[in-house]
Amino acid sequence: MTAPLVRRLAAFALVAALSAGSMLVARGARKPFSPAAPQYRQKGPANAKILIVEFSDFECPACRYAVKPLHELLALYEGKVRFVFKHFPLRMHRWAPAAAIAAECAGRQGRFWEYHDRLYDRQEEWVNEKAESFLVAYARTFKLDMNAWQACRADPALPTLLKSELTDGANAWVGSTPTFFINGKRFVGAKQLGERGTTFIEKELEK
Amino acid sequence: MTCKEHAALAGRLVVGIVLVYAGASKAAGPAEEVAYIISAYDVIPRDFTLPAAALMPWIELFVGWALILGFQTRLAAAAAGAIFLAFLGAVGSTVLRGITLPNCGCFGDSLHLTAGQAFVMDLCMSGLCWLAWRESSSPASLDRWTQRGL
Repeated sequence: MTAPLVRRLAAFALVAALSAGSMLVARGARKPFSPAAPQYRQKGPANAKILIVEFSDFECPACRYAVKPLHELLALYEGKVRFVFKHFPLRMHRWAPAAAIAAECAGRQGRFWEYHDRLYDRQEEWVNEKAESFLVAYARTFKLDMNAWQACRADPALPTLLKSELTDGANAWVGSTPTFFINGKRFVGAKQLGERGTTFIEKELEK
Repeated sequence: MTCKEHAALAGRLVVGIVLVYAGASKAAGPAEEVAYIISAYDVIPRDFTLPAAALMPWIELFVGWALILGFQTRLAAAAAGAIFLAFLGAVGSTVLRGITLPNCGCFGDSLHLTAGQAFVMDLCMSGLCWLAWRESSSPASLDRWTQRGL
């Protein structure tokens, strides 16, 4: 081989090695995340073959659009799927943490899913300066014990809980909401869930 | 070095660094996140979004490092120019079609730009690619080394 050709190959190898090295450094060490959540945020049999974990934000419109395909998926595989909801209030969503805490407190009175559905159904109604009055009104609609619900909202453990779920999301490299993990496999947004989720679940059930 | 050579060197270094940063930022997160943003542009068939998301960081890193080190500089500058023109077209088409992007996805999850900011950046990068491409001989480059030795 001639010297220029050897040098050209060496140059190519250097560029390729730097590209691969950058890729490895960027990926870093991925950390495992905990799918744990309080019982009232879980649905389906504990020993189900399929575990779906959703990281979601009550103020996010894309999460609202994902509710319908998710309900359809859960109905289709009823009894075969365990579903876990995890909070991932995005920084840019001002009212999302308050909504998450309000839903948690509804959950402590056994009404998490009703409150969850109401927040998504009426997202356009409450995401504004009047959020507080709507959160209270929804709690009244579900006939929650208002004293207990208000006391719960002041519980300092709840912001800590939200923070730990944000850490779980960060460990799982969640960058957008909603992000779903079906038996650990990631699906970002309603489109990915709707288009590839069913196929993936079928494959998992066949195993 | 002539003024033109200085401009070509600066152009290729800036574009190279931006591409390496963009590629590394995308590689840092999962491909599904990048695919989610790509699908928001609605410019390529949905079945191709995930393969495109997996491939894009590799292309950006390779072209970026090739520009920084000056390897096949004119080819790398042309490739980078094609990449930024494609991004420019994609961002412009979303504006024309009234699609609101959650973010441009240019830098994965590390830096969020609006469609307007991304358009200006892509335009500037395309111009710098042209500066790097028009110079047939690039100083401080692997090309010079492969042709002449040390």
